Amino acid sequence: MESMQRTAVAGLVLAMCLASVAIAESRKEYRYNVGPQANVSVDAQYGAVSVKPGSANQVLITAIAKGDKVDVESQQNGNRVEVGSRLRPGADPQSGRVDYELSVPPDATVHLRSSTGPITADGLQGDVTLEGAGAQVEARNLNRGHLVVQTMSGPITLNNVHNGHVEITSISGDIHLNSVTAQLVKVESTNGRIFYSGDFGSGGDYRFSTHTGDIEALVPASASAEFSAQSLQGQVQNDFPLQPKQHSHISLDATRAFIGTAGKAASAVVMRSFSGKIRLKQR
Amino acid sequence: MKCADVQRVLPEVIENRQDGELEAHLKSCPACSELVSDLKLISSEARQLSASDEPAPRVWVRIAAELRAEGVIREPEAATPAPATTSRRSWSAWWLVPVAAALLAGASYIVTHKPAPQVAGQQGPAVTTPAAPASQPPATVAQAPAAKASSPQNAKNREVAEASSAEDQQFLSEVSQRAPGMRVTYENQLRSVNNYIRDAQAYLDQNPDDEDARQHLIEAYQQKAMLYQMALDHVQ
Repeated sequence: MESMQRTAVAGLVLAMCLASVAIAESRKEYRYNVGPQANVSVDAQYGAVSVKPGSANQVLITAIAKGDKVDVESQQNGNRVEVGSRLRPGADPQSGRVDYELSVPPDATVHLRSSTGPITADGLQGDVTLEGAGAQVEARNLNRGHLVVQTMSGPITLNNVHNGHVEITSISGDIHLNSVTAQLVKVESTNGRIFYSGDFGSGGDYRFSTHTGDIEALVPASASAEFSAQSLQGQVQNDFPLQPKQHSHISLDATRAFIGTAGKAASAVVMRSFSGKIRLKQR
Repeated sequence: MKCADVQRVLPEVIENRQDGELEAHLKSCPACSELVSDLKLISSEARQLSASDEPAPRVWVRIAAELRAEGVIREPEAATPAPATTSRRSWSAWWLVPVAAALLAGASYIVTHKPAPQVAGQQGPAVTTPAAPASQPPATVAQAPAAKASSPQNAKNREVAEASSAEDQQFLSEVSQRAPGMRVTYENQLRSVNNYIRDAQAYLDQNPDDEDARQHLIEAYQQKAMLYQMALDHVQ
């Protein structure tokens, strides 16, 4: 009997806890009909933002408010959909948090912004811009569009991004690129580390640059690219069997620079650091 | 009036201050004339933004366009899509004017004031000093040899650095007022990009023909511009 009473009390407490969570967590859904190449913007302030492809003519937004000092605003102007958090006075990352989940047409142009993140874009084919101050940012399975990612300290990860233009900038966040092939891949960091793993495709222009951050490229033996690396005040290390390149414009100090080609040198890879270490490795 | 004098009175200049000596200098100096023209354009854009409470990306797009036009930014095509205008910023766009001025002046300086080849030093590492306070100007002049410290080029470095320091103080002050908890974060990031600018500038001073160092300096300024933009976007 006593055991049943305890169970009942525990169940009641649990139900009350769940109810309080449900009350604190406000969930709203927004649906907008759009045409081709819609423009979708999310300004989350604080909270997670994720986007994935959905219906070709509809934007579905689920906003889950986790705090009580924030309002969600959403509007549509023609083919443009905007949603964002408006913070009330005194809001902080907890009380102002709203998580957004989006389903958008695959060809939509998407702009996501959050200070805290995480921010995730998956499976899109349009232009994608991801901005996070301290937010962790991940982009995966993107094809054809322009991808722009900017963070202040948040780490950035790209997986399977192909056939577009990629511009990544972070001041102190580490940047990981796995299987990223595009016409232009430009990655810049001040303190953060840049790590690339992949074959550099064919015909791409890759530029990696840091101040103090290290740069490391892990490349398969089948890669076809011209590599040049220079660290003005740091070290370089080449563990990849490059063919020497003649008429190099870099005055080669072997400890600070190297240049050479692999395969037919279909892509150009330029790795530059001011004082970080640059390393090219065979996978 | 000299170029340095014009840079000192830039805020008044963009407010259309009438000055015969200034006008005479602008007529005879294409670099200053272009700079003032650019800043007036930015100022005009900022006014419109302030009036409509619209976000600032157009200003930055305009700056980027100007920098591209001057060859500071060289990209195969407009790879950066214009940011969408979903922002709910409450910052006055006006504070961007001096910031944009400082960054534009810094970037323009890099391109337009390429030093004479005979000043070139030997290839070698520039001195890297310990981390400076975030708002301390890049200490390029102090690190340069005495003979170089007195050159017109380094005098310009000093002016650019001092202008930058003032803008940094304003920047951090704005962050402190709007998001006190974020000040340390932004201060640390600002210190990082300023160190980048300082190191690249110091190296470039010693190796004036080093295009790689010049590119690093440009990128350092771009990172700083991004940091300002981040604050505008994320600090309410």
